[in-house]
Amino acid sequence: MLKLLFQIIRLIIITMILLSILSCNGLIGEGTSEESSRVVNKELERDSDRGNVSNNNISTDENNLKEKSKTNKTPGKIAESKDKSILDLNLKSGGILRRLWSDPPTLDPHLSSDTTSSGIVVEIHSGLVSLNPQLEIIPDIAKSWEVSDDLLTYTFKIRNNAVFHDGKKITAKDFKWSFERASNPNTASPVADTYLSDIVGVDKVLEGITENIAGVKVIDDYTLQITIDEPKAYFLAKLTYPTAYVLDKDNVLNGGKNWADKPNGAGPFKIKEYKVGERLILERNQNYHLDPPKLDRIVMNLAGGQSMAMYENDEIDITGVGMLDLERVLDTNNPLSSEIVVAPPSFSISYIGFNINVNPFDDINFRKALTYAINKPLIAKEVLSDLVVPAYGILPPGFPGYNSDLKGLEFNPDLAREYLKKSKYADPESRDRIVITVPGSGGNIGIDLEVILNMWSEELGVQVEIQQVEWATYLEDLQKRKFQSFAGLGWESDYPDPQNFLDILFHSDSELNHGGYSNKVIDELIVKARTELDYNNRILIYQDIEQNLIDDSPWIPLWYQGERYVLLKPYIKDYFLTPMVIPKLRYVYIDKTE
Amino acid sequence: MLFYIIRRLFWLPVLLFVISFITFTLGTYGPGDPVVVMLGNKYTEEKADNLRESLGLNRPVLVQYFDYMSGALKGDFGESLRHRGRSVSSLLASKIWVSFQINISAMIVSLLLGVSIGYFIAHKQGTWIDPTIVTIFIISMSIPVMVSIPYLLRLSCLTLNLIPCSGWGGFWDLRMLLPAFALGIPGSCAFMRLMRASTLDVLGQDFIRTAHAKGLSEFTVNSRHILKNALIPIITLTSFSLSGMLTTSFIVERILGFPGVGNFLIESIFNRDYPVILAFTLIGSTVFVLANLLADILYAFVDPRIRYS
Repeated sequence: MLKLLFQIIRLIIITMILLSILSCNGLIGEGTSEESSRVVNKELERDSDRGNVSNNNISTDENNLKEKSKTNKTPGKIAESKDKSILDLNLKSGGILRRLWSDPPTLDPHLSSDTTSSGIVVEIHSGLVSLNPQLEIIPDIAKSWEVSDDLLTYTFKIRNNAVFHDGKKITAKDFKWSFERASNPNTASPVADTYLSDIVGVDKVLEGITENIAGVKVIDDYTLQITIDEPKAYFLAKLTYPTAYVLDKDNVLNGGKNWADKPNGAGPFKIKEYKVGERLILERNQNYHLDPPKLDRIVMNLAGGQSMAMYENDEIDITGVGMLDLERVLDTNNPLSSEIVVAPPSFSISYIGFNINVNPFDDINFRKALTYAINKPLIAKEVLSDLVVPAYGILPPGFPGYNSDLKGLEFNPDLAREYLKKSKYADPESRDRIVITVPGSGGNIGIDLEVILNMWSEELGVQVEIQQVEWATYLEDLQKRKFQSFAGLGWESDYPDPQNFLDILFHSDSELNHGGYSNKVIDELIVKARTELDYNNRILIYQDIEQNLIDDSPWIPLWYQGERYVLLKPYIKDYFLTPMVIPKLRYVYIDKTE
Repeated sequence: MLFYIIRRLFWLPVLLFVISFITFTLGTYGPGDPVVVMLGNKYTEEKADNLRESLGLNRPVLVQYFDYMSGALKGDFGESLRHRGRSVSSLLASKIWVSFQINISAMIVSLLLGVSIGYFIAHKQGTWIDPTIVTIFIISMSIPVMVSIPYLLRLSCLTLNLIPCSGWGGFWDLRMLLPAFALGIPGSCAFMRLMRASTLDVLGQDFIRTAHAKGLSEFTVNSRHILKNALIPIITLTSFSLSGMLTTSFIVERILGFPGVGNFLIESIFNRDYPVILAFTLIGSTVFVLANLLADILYAFVDPRIRYS
């Protein structure tokens, strides 16, 4: 008995030591994927916007790709310079790309909703349309499409050379089945409603009333017609998301529970080997319907490790550079500095949220005082090495509806003190203890937040405490709106429409409105924007909403993501760094001749 | 003896029942919800309900528990919640195998070093060599792995370029040397101290003097008489540490990029992957009980003075 007791005590001690060491977590895991050089909660890292794409391309095929107008976004330096080589079919084949990745939560395209999964899924599977490195919509399995005059019906022509990995032809029926499978409640896709619910009849399938999507019609083997509920500029962009990818019915139904490990996809690469937590090897799909991929293989190390050390020891070809290594790597005396590539930011924002129904955040003057007291440019420069851009609005720069004339609450200590004086909580006795809850497992709470607390204390004499809660508990309590205020969260857009920020996060009835914000005027504007058909008017309404929100301060917007630094071996060519996940490995080739 | 073993084994299911029930209840009623973690910022009540239904998490807790346990008795630990569609057994088996190999390599180093050095310094008792070596080993044991491994890694991989920086290459891979020594040397300290003490104990016994008096060669005395008897406590210690062979510290795995069980378990806990957590608790406790039983039995075989009733 005594022995058992000792063992239990030993176990408890070991657990405690383990947990306390978890704070090393951030350091060790830093930069494991090149998509995130700043540590954000992985679960919140979602694919960002799908580019500024208009629906003017009524009919498109790959021949007039060259004539397409450039969007106003630039997906990174190398993308610009290598623009042409995608088009010339000068095939350079061979080579292996080695990279560090982490275990994908799922390899099922219809379930994937995070960048770790979709970064692999988009290379194995394909859909009707996809995005090129310039984030323009390009034909994929569909060779062309037509949009009806009322902008509601899309007719896709499917390539007759498009086949699954096993050589079976892809037909319109496969697409219809795939859309229905993705929307079926038994599939339990967390994103089907986001990406497919514009299609007429998908809502009925999602509710389990029927299994047939009325708005998806098979005209013949190679013609598919999709009807949507309202004219939507961004509908095609949504179809580039893996939720809308085609799957082989036989593979899914007969492949057992782990069919996605041995997928019969239609993408440029096939899975050669997958060992959970160890490695994932992709190999070239010879039957691919677009330009054949050039790499022989892609080896993804899933076991983890120190990404920078592995890069420097020539074990991987690409790594993100974390804040701690940045200065060393950017130093021109360091040979690594010639391998640095700048990646464009994703469309995301991080913020401090208030529960505006509780003391002291129910007072707008108090919220404003806190906002005015933060010197964001100083923190961005001195603390975060300019890896972020100070945010004064909600929509990120370059995002549809971004308003450069927005009047934000910029740093103004005098105004901050004035608002505090006006506030009914000016007297510290009158307000509750202020606690900001952040997610995490011990240790580092985010250096920016520490500086902010200090600024509040110095400028206003307002003392704020930090409470750190483990991730799963944090999410649950956030959903139940238990927090007085919260930070450490970001929001990354799913599709390029202001609705994806302003409606989803601030409407009174929205489940993601974690601060319980409720404002009748804003609710009315949001509802008005939903049904406004004229694109420009909608944008104006959203800009109005955004200004109102900033004036009302239910959040303190903190940072937009800035440019990220990535190290890439010089012999890796045509690796495009994009602000979101796109199928891009088929362009990559290896040239060690230089 | 047989009766003793049976009696010990009889307690195993009772113990497992208690442990699993406590783990299950803590998991279910504790804070955090796997469905909320899975949905992240896509959470809505409706999606959560759908997901709970498809995962069977909306059933009464007792039904879930007995359903799980009846599967577990047949060796089926169900499906992981985080890696949907994957069986817990297959996920855990490969991770445990990796951890086991790491531990075996460290154990070999510990045993070889600990036994030989312990034996050696016992003979040097009273000279400066004995306390010096003991001190060195105690210092090495006191350095935590999160300090020693990154340092060794830096030395062997970045400075000397001897081995790759991380990744798993199997038991015979060069990269195995690092954990073998980084974990093996601190681990050898206990063996060394024990070996030293038991050797000293044997050295002072009458039968050793008799052996010398009989005119046996120094080698025969050392190998047949001293070593054999001095090894008895080492065997017990080794079999006791067998119970810890299934896990490796997640710190070691994280730094070295080894797909072991520690990192996987931590992730499962943070994602509230109950089937994985439960399965490991059950496997771990079973192995713990069996290893202790084995140690007791071995002890009886090695030392005829011990009798169980």
